[in-house]
Amino acid sequence: MFFHIVLERNMQLHPRHFGRNLRENLVAKLMKDVEGTCSGQHGFVVAITGIENIGKGLIRDGTGFVSFPVKYQCVVFRPFKGEILEAVVTMVNKMGFFAEAGPVQIFVSNHLIPDDMEFQSGDMPNYTTSDGSVKIQKDSEVRLKIIGTRVDATEIFCIGTIKDDFLGVINDPASV
Amino acid sequence: MSLAESPVYSSSSDDFAGLLERELESGSSESSPVEEDKEADDNGSDVESESRIKRRKVENAENLEETSGSTSQGFSEQKSEVSAVEDMCAHPGSFGDMCFLCGQRLNEQSGVTFGYIHKGLRLNNDEIDRLRNTDIKKSLHRKKLYLVLDLDHTLLNSTQLNHMTAEEEYLMSPTDSLPDVLKGSLFRLDLMRMMTKLRPFIRTFLKEASEMFEMYVYTMGDRAYALEMAKLLDPNKEYFGDRVISRDDGTLKNQKGLDIVLGQESAVLILDDTENAWAKHKDNLILMERYHFFRSSCHQFGFTCESLSEMKTDESEPEGALANVLDLLKRIHKIFFNELGGNLIDRDVRQVLKTVRKEVLKGCKVMFSRIIPSKVPADNHHLWKMAEQLGAICSTEVDSSVTHVVALDAGTEKSRWAVKQKKFLVHPGWVEAANYMWRKQPEEKFPVTETKSKTQTQ
Ligand SMILES: [Mg+2]
Ligand SMILES: [Zn+2]
Repeated sequence: MFFHIVLERNMQLHPRHFGRNLRENLVAKLMKDVEGTCSGQHGFVVAITGIENIGKGLIRDGTGFVSFPVKYQCVVFRPFKGEILEAVVTMVNKMGFFAEAGPVQIFVSNHLIPDDMEFQSGDMPNYTTSDGSVKIQKDSEVRLKIIGTRVDATEIFCIGTIKDDFLGVINDPASV
Repeated sequence: MSLAESPVYSSSSDDFAGLLERELESGSSESSPVEEDKEADDNGSDVESESRIKRRKVENAENLEETSGSTSQGFSEQKSEVSAVEDMCAHPGSFGDMCFLCGQRLNEQSGVTFGYIHKGLRLNNDEIDRLRNTDIKKSLHRKKLYLVLDLDHTLLNSTQLNHMTAEEEYLMSPTDSLPDVLKGSLFRLDLMRMMTKLRPFIRTFLKEASEMFEMYVYTMGDRAYALEMAKLLDPNKEYFGDRVISRDDGTLKNQKGLDIVLGQESAVLILDDTENAWAKHKDNLILMERYHFFRSSCHQFGFTCESLSEMKTDESEPEGALANVLDLLKRIHKIFFNELGGNLIDRDVRQVLKTVRKEVLKGCKVMFSRIIPSKVPADNHHLWKMAEQLGAICSTEVDSSVTHVVALDAGTEKSRWAVKQKKFLVHPGWVEAANYMWRKQPEEKFPVTETKSKTQTQ
């Protein structure tokens, strides 16, 4: 799920960046430092959408660096237990399949794939129903439910299931 | 700063942010949606599940009508279902330290890491057994066994670019000016500062072996090297899939193990030039004669002679090690599926391997002359054991039933006896070659000379 929130960060800036472009430099550095990172609390920072406020700079003794408290608005993404997500399958094997939704890595074990779908090995491994009507393979888009999440500094891990109504393949690349 | 402390701003210039806000506000008037966020991981009250659904609306803003109605009921049901599973879950394995069956965070790490399949994936032993049991039935049904392939000296030979000699300089020329035999089998990997030569017959070998086996790569090289080599061997990703194992994935230092191979041990064969790497799985191993193409590789194993690369030649394609071992694999596969009795599931490929090996020198009675030091028990010597595994009878006594005398020097008493009695007098390389080739070799190719000069193994 996405959230629009305000976060704060102390930015250390080298004196060479001071001058007319101070603000631009500060914002550019902020984007570089923050976008694409994760925190356990907020999730994945997708994009900075605005700067709320830049506080007074504080000169650090000795180094000449100045630290500015910056309040910024950003869009974060964080999956929750019970949430329904749409994801793209990245790998299929005997154990189940892996899928990705943006920065989120999801594993759906074969315990949580409907029993009527069976694993087929080969150069394009897949899970297929006995009548062949539904097939999950690499690049399939699936709708799944999150049953566990863990957010690390750089990655988000999720456990998913498709063993429930309205879950499973929503678009099969092989049939297009 | 936590989520709860950060207010959501009602005025925003950004379209996306504006959409989010409007959707969030339209649903919850009593509290800021972000505040509820904190409780979201706790158990679900009505209020919470309600707010969750509202948020879900935000996510799927385009198909609001579809999702909101149907999921609201489903959610509270699922919640109780999940907690019931949690209570009795055996936690068969984990992904990112969460049980992949119940989603619970697991504190102690148990089981075996399967990092080569995906980062953060672990399986418990019971789960590994379950997967192997399910898989073996399907594999046998498709007439497939498992084959684990070593890389260096088995399927290919690599060298550092800066270890190449002047005589090897010609290999550095652009691909189109290389000798024809090297095209498509010699690769310069500038990023890894390496050059790799695939063993002759490799393409045919992989293609035909893949019809009889589910194949794994298993190398003592690191992960990056393993993946790079897999790309050269399997450019169309037909053979190995995610079954590429490197030393970074093993559970024991300097050892390879079948514990991270998802194939039943009774159905696995291994091709490797290093016997010691497989201490626990010798019965699955088919030992390969080392492929040395580059000078640095010869040097590393103590050979001072010119390398194949320096002589601008290569191992024979139709009679080389890979053609030979493919033939062996076909024989074993045929015996396993067509000639053994009983249930498929009870058959053991290790037994087949043993039987086939025993056929190689069947009918030979071998006597060693000054090969085995007198202070060690003769049946402890590796050549003695090797000959016996190949089906020969070994003897220390001169008697008329002896068929072969193995010696390094034609001048010994037993050697002269062999010549006089018209027995075969062969160099120890004859036994070793039979062991590599899985066929009895022509004796005349392994003559013994009178002087104790250095003889060369073929
Ligand atoms: Mg090797
Ligand atoms: Zn569990």
